[in-house]
Amino acid sequence: MDKVLISQVGFSTMHKVVTVDMMKDILSANRKLADQNQALLDEHGIRAFDFLGAIGSGKTLIIERLIDKLKGDGKRCAAIAGDVAGDDDYRRFSAHGVAAENISTGKECHLDAHMVDHALERLPLDDLDYVFVENVGNLVCPVDFPLGSHKRVVVISVTEGDDMVRKHPAIFAFSDVVVINKVDLADAMEVDPDSLATDARRTNPNAKVVIMNARQGRGIDDLAEALGL
Amino acid sequence: MHEFSVMSQIVDAIMEEANKREAKKIEGVTIELGEFTMLGEEQMRFSFEVLAKGTMMEDAVLVFRRTDGEIECACGYRGAMSSSEDAAHGSTLILECPQCGGGANIVGGRECVIRDIKMVVPDV
Repeated sequence: MDKVLISQVGFSTMHKVVTVDMMKDILSANRKLADQNQALLDEHGIRAFDFLGAIGSGKTLIIERLIDKLKGDGKRCAAIAGDVAGDDDYRRFSAHGVAAENISTGKECHLDAHMVDHALERLPLDDLDYVFVENVGNLVCPVDFPLGSHKRVVVISVTEGDDMVRKHPAIFAFSDVVVINKVDLADAMEVDPDSLATDARRTNPNAKVVIMNARQGRGIDDLAEALGL
Repeated sequence: MHEFSVMSQIVDAIMEEANKREAKKIEGVTIELGEFTMLGEEQMRFSFEVLAKGTMMEDAVLVFRRTDGEIECACGYRGAMSSSEDAAHGSTLILECPQCGGGANIVGGRECVIRDIKMVVPDV
């Protein structure tokens, strides 16, 4: 029950000033929806993974590689592509012969559980083993909006510089797996992947760190193992 | 940049409560921001200004309070996270348990709470 305190501030006799105790957590509505999404996935025996990372870090290609690997193992996958605009990633996923959904967020800088809920409604959940969710390329805003997936993967690439983890610690703290991608370019960029890995482990000792070159397929098996695939 | 959408939800919630109580005016709102949220106070204030303009909450005084983050470790530790000794980068988020060095989990500080609303209502 709300506690109403009547203030002594002078107003007209017809009105009074009250302070209403609210204690309403605005972010909890999304968390509740995220829990519902996970319950829906669990009901269908589906494991879901969401991928976060900057624009151009390699999220889409990594998901494509995982889809190919899992399809080879006879598993059924689907992908949800979240972007501010366009359907480029959606078309890339569809080209692998899997169910895909596109979410254009318009002006929003992140996916939220509500958008993912609607995308899940359109997927053939009875016929799926895994769902991959690619978030909007952004290392800040998605932190506050869990989607209901079972594991969160954050992808960074050496081309983003050696200070990525220190600049965006929260996203690493709230992820289960950290992928350091494009390590074939490490020398050219003069970035040491090990120093990125050290920063990531320090920020989040619970997270698994995977060194990868998705273009050539290096590290995909390690990522699959980190995700329990 | 998600402050605007979060503040829209806050303004909606304030308006709902105000209408329920037949309020004439909103004088103040207290909002608690968890240390681990990615919401910036300045952007929240600016969003509020835009959203509240021309409404009964236009002149409301916004008060923000930071709530401390809290981590918990299997070793039994529960409390603040380690502070970074890396002065060049200022404070950063480290889940290394300050007691045992293991991996701790975040248990508090992810909230954005409307604590209370001060409003003018009919004296019945």
